[in-house]
Amino acid sequence: MSFQILLNLFLAFLWMFLSSNYSVSRFIIGYLLGLLAILAMRRFFNSRLYIDRVWAIIKLVVLFIKELILANISVLVLVLKPKLEMQPAFFKYNTELTEEWEITLLSSLITLTPGTVVVHVSNDSKSLFIHVIDSNDIDATIDSIRNSFEKAILEVSRT
Amino acid sequence: MKTNDVILQFTAKIVFFIIFFYAVHIFFAGHYTPGGGFVGGLVTSCAIVLLIIAFDLKKVQSILPINYIYLVATGLIVALGTATFSMIAGKPFFTHSFDYFNLPILGKTSLHTAALFDFGVYLVVVGVTMTIIQTIGEDE
Repeated sequence: MSFQILLNLFLAFLWMFLSSNYSVSRFIIGYLLGLLAILAMRRFFNSRLYIDRVWAIIKLVVLFIKELILANISVLVLVLKPKLEMQPAFFKYNTELTEEWEITLLSSLITLTPGTVVVHVSNDSKSLFIHVIDSNDIDATIDSIRNSFEKAILEVSRT
Repeated sequence: MKTNDVILQFTAKIVFFIIFFYAVHIFFAGHYTPGGGFVGGLVTSCAIVLLIIAFDLKKVQSILPINYIYLVATGLIVALGTATFSMIAGKPFFTHSFDYFNLPILGKTSLHTAALFDFGVYLVVVGVTMTIIQTIGEDE
């Protein structure tokens, strides 16, 4: 992954020196050409192409913005209801993520989408304790976290 | 009971660099725009204090093995040295000079000796702030 990025930068510099024109536009052209070369030689690398990971990160950002808007609308509906029918509760969520940055990112995403707040991470970092505003559909909440955020983060970190 | 601070510690590691870069930016912005040595030093201390909050005092001292009292002394020497340098050149105490230089990468840059004096102020502010916080924090 990092080797591919370094190789791509090296190819871009090489292109700049070959054409002996040291400007930003030349560098960008060289970078794109290096990207094409790396795409063509994808069988040489034993890990994923780094451009896949960049795409996964873009997808994660889009997913986060979508979830943020949807969840805020659902909280607005809860606030404007004349009757308070919600049942706040805590539940434990077992995560498959292991790395520090993955857990931090997942917790931030869960906290920033309203209705759920991460209040504690267990000492072995294997489960999160989440406060949910409406416990009538906890299973649906767990499923939505597991199938949207956790999947997207795993997609980014897959080698 | 020891809680698991994984989120705070990871965030502090990243945010430390952002705050430190902002401090350097505000230090160099001091000549024409708001900023300067004093604010830059305080913001740098804020970054180190964030690390102390996220980890603990002993760990941060092993990461940054700086004796902050020596840092204060160094800053005072730098500031005084800048001020006395003009006396050697036969001008009154604290006379600053500046000139334009053609540096290899940056091009035409104005270098002013007031920036060196400001750097001394920066070191003194970081040293004093961190000395105060560490001596209070070490009290059992």
